[in-house]
Amino acid sequence: MTNLPTRRDEAWRYADLDALARLWPLPAAEQIIVPEGTTLSRVIVQDTGGVHQINLILERGAQALFYVLNCGGDYGRVDLSVTLKQGAHFSLQAAQIGGDSQTLEIVTTVTHAEPDATSRQIVRSVLAGQATGTYLGKVAVAKGAQHTDSEQSVKAMLLDRSATANAKPELEIFADDVTCAHGCAIGELDAMAMFYLQCRGLTPADAKTLLLQAFIAEAFEGAEQADDLRQRALAKLESVV
Amino acid sequence: MISTPALQDLTMLSITNLHANVADKPILKGLSLSINAGEIHAIMGPNGAGKSTLGYTLAGRPGYDVTDGSVTFLGEDLLALAPHERAAAGLFLGFQYPVEIPGVSNVQFLRESLNAQRKLRGHDPLSGADFLKLARAQADAMGMDMDMLKRPVNVGFSGGEKKRNEMVQMGIIDPKLAILDETDSGLDIDALRVVGDGINRIMRKPDKAVLLITHYQRLLDYVQPDFVHVLAGGRIVRSGGPELALELEREGYKDLAA
Amino acid sequence: MTDTPIKDQAAHDAAARVADYEHGWSADIETDFAPKGLSEETVRFISAKKNEPDWMLDWRLKAFRMWQTMESPDWAKLNVPPIDYQDAYYYAAPKAKKTLESLDEVDPEILRVYEKLGIPIEEQKVLAGVEGARKVAVDAVFDSVSVATTFREELKKAGVIFLSISEAIREYPELVKKWLGRIVPMRDNYFATLNCAVFSDGTFVYIPEGVRCPMELSTYFRINAENTGQFERTLIIADKGSYVSYLEGCTAPMRDENQLHAAVVELVAMDDAEIKYSTVQNWYPGNSEGLGGIYNFVTKRALCQGNRSKVSWTQVETGSAITWKYPSCVLNGDDSVGEFYSVAVTNNYQQADTGTKMIHNGKRTRSTIVSKGITAGKSNGTYRGLVRVAAQADGVRNFTQCDSLLLGDQCGAHTVPYIEVKNPSAQIEHEATTSKISDDQLFYAMQRGLGQEEAVALIVNGFAKEVLQQLPMEFAVEAQKLLGISLEGSVG
Repeated sequence: MTNLPTRRDEAWRYADLDALARLWPLPAAEQIIVPEGTTLSRVIVQDTGGVHQINLILERGAQALFYVLNCGGDYGRVDLSVTLKQGAHFSLQAAQIGGDSQTLEIVTTVTHAEPDATSRQIVRSVLAGQATGTYLGKVAVAKGAQHTDSEQSVKAMLLDRSATANAKPELEIFADDVTCAHGCAIGELDAMAMFYLQCRGLTPADAKTLLLQAFIAEAFEGAEQADDLRQRALAKLESVV
Repeated sequence: MISTPALQDLTMLSITNLHANVADKPILKGLSLSINAGEIHAIMGPNGAGKSTLGYTLAGRPGYDVTDGSVTFLGEDLLALAPHERAAAGLFLGFQYPVEIPGVSNVQFLRESLNAQRKLRGHDPLSGADFLKLARAQADAMGMDMDMLKRPVNVGFSGGEKKRNEMVQMGIIDPKLAILDETDSGLDIDALRVVGDGINRIMRKPDKAVLLITHYQRLLDYVQPDFVHVLAGGRIVRSGGPELALELEREGYKDLAA
Repeated sequence: MTDTPIKDQAAHDAAARVADYEHGWSADIETDFAPKGLSEETVRFISAKKNEPDWMLDWRLKAFRMWQTMESPDWAKLNVPPIDYQDAYYYAAPKAKKTLESLDEVDPEILRVYEKLGIPIEEQKVLAGVEGARKVAVDAVFDSVSVATTFREELKKAGVIFLSISEAIREYPELVKKWLGRIVPMRDNYFATLNCAVFSDGTFVYIPEGVRCPMELSTYFRINAENTGQFERTLIIADKGSYVSYLEGCTAPMRDENQLHAAVVELVAMDDAEIKYSTVQNWYPGNSEGLGGIYNFVTKRALCQGNRSKVSWTQVETGSAITWKYPSCVLNGDDSVGEFYSVAVTNNYQQADTGTKMIHNGKRTRSTIVSKGITAGKSNGTYRGLVRVAAQADGVRNFTQCDSLLLGDQCGAHTVPYIEVKNPSAQIEHEATTSKISDDQLFYAMQRGLGQEEAVALIVNGFAKEVLQQLPMEFAVEAQKLLGISLEGSVG
């Protein structure tokens, strides 16, 4: 892409275009090919702002496990374009935590190009202040990519009236023997759980933080650096609660 | 910081002319009740009398609005405190329907809760090892497996397990006043005995008190109350000794609408 | 009407066997055309033909000039061949001898067409008070002009106004002026703007305060004249505390050239009012090679303006070569409710991009979206939906369920939900699944004695049940049959 995108570009419809203009032109996307039968594990901590673009190709039977914490800068975007060959597996576990007037985005296009590939995406967003958190996730199943199994689980919590959550979990399916599901939920913390925790002595802020930690916990499950990610996430949560 | 005076023979909870609304509908309409340290009180009454509302109002649940009256707890204005401050002051509400909290383990929940209370009282936090020792002892006493303490709070627990878990929490937190809302509901006869024993063991002490909220007499076979009150139409309409509970069991509530 | 007869059973069966279009025939009726092509002259011709007041002509001209500056939208997952707007007729009316008072006066040829379609407009039967028969008032739109309305008297007694929109413009100009273009603004989209300029006719309904409309209202649309665009305009106003159920159904005869249909439907519900709008859309979808068929670009929108108002859209979309349609609810009133229940079936080379928008502006507004997409052959079906919660809208609830069923590996099923939430107290849930008919299900049903196509129809009807049961009786039976017919030849 050479021209600055506009709101009409679907992939940038919720982006902070002013912040993007300051970052323009973007560095070239990182290109990764995961060779046949191998596994790549990758942690992305976006804590300074900026756009991370990665094009990922998973050869037959390859696996890629991505863990993302998107929480820093005015504008932070993690943009993954993934192509799955036969029997490959892609997993994205991501948390984004925003406050003030941050704009945070996780954008994925996962193309099941060949049969028997699987993909799992878990995205948890916590948004406070005037922050905007967006998940644009497209799963495309090519003609003939039978036995595709894909899942997107997208949840967001808004802590303030001025925060915004956007989600677009999109499916484009050209094969019939597939299991593709997505679920999306946006809401606030359960009032009864908050009350229960406070009845046991937790302050409102601690109760909130505890519930939010639990809310994003799935994003780091299984990561080698899970403890480090949790600590960073907790620090950010405490700053926005 | 909340002080803890000597408690024996002290008025622990004093409720005067309490009026409370839920969603703008008056539920409690002038309820008065006094509980001294060392006493066990039972509140009985028909469905819809306001029994659970009383528990929630005392614990400070949002949406339960006090419109008139006062409540003092250990000499302090209870209604001025936030829910967690009431907990730290020593008030424990055993929930009729304990809340499931996915992703938060029982152990983490209780340790953070206990230490938050200790902090507010000016005590040092309990170390991980000391806490686990305490938790294990309380779980053992209630016949609860340690594994359940590591599971998310109440998630996937049966009705009886949830109630047992409430008792384990009560044992760990060690409150001054326990308000136990229908703690006997959903329990089979064996579980009822375990829970009853738990209440006696943890709470039947000269410096503590219990308010049992119940629809049936059966829990009172295990936890003998000193006083029994009948709540109907948002007020206490009758008070008496343990014999009142037996009378209610025989006669029902129908003649009590006042 | 308790049943919806397929009158010509033998012909129907024959048509079904060749998986051809049941209503694919052409009646011979005299037609009065506007000159071909689209210009200010066309707009003036239409307006003059309908004896419209000046304000209406001005409104149309404003829209036409606006339309000339606009571009056809391209964001849908549709492959739309370029449409030559100059190569179509924008007005065609059957030559009416005079204003018709009852069905007896209708051209027998038209009645024969209706009969063949199995449209239940047997006025006498209902008027005679057939035990248990439900009343259905029909404003039959034949091509572009209403030629007959029934049950006017009874509706009049209840105070319900049920007229063609052209009549309403003349007789109730203030009501029309107040709401026309208020729910779907003139500039809303390319096709809506075009409709504003050249709309031919349509339906106007006003239900007065506190009135429960005594019968289901319905309109049947047909496209009959060759090369005639259809630009229907519907406006339904439900005043405080009123209720109306409106049924819309359409079929179209077979033509080789594609025909454009760009309707606009506007609904408004005041305090405590409820509108139930049901559609069975069975426009000609083109033949099995993808030739011909209707292009259906429809803008339907409801304004839940009053507190506690409710609008429920139910649609069964089986027809058209191209469907572009998003019946929506703008939930302005506190505690108002929007519902969207949809079954969209595509087969052969059909393309459908359909869904809804639920715009939550009022407090405690609730919406439910249930979309069932069934794709077969080489067709493509897309659900496209928006759920938006404004910052001031506390306590909003939305539940969305989008299920796709694929029959065969040559078709495409797509789901494009947009969720935009600015209020923390909102509870928004969206779920989507994709499945196919399993061989086990098919075998099981066939082992119990069903033919393959019957088995498919059975399973598909089960898949779509949640939506079908929202339809009024009159339509439910017809809709079930349609699903089966639409999918013939898609399996095996």
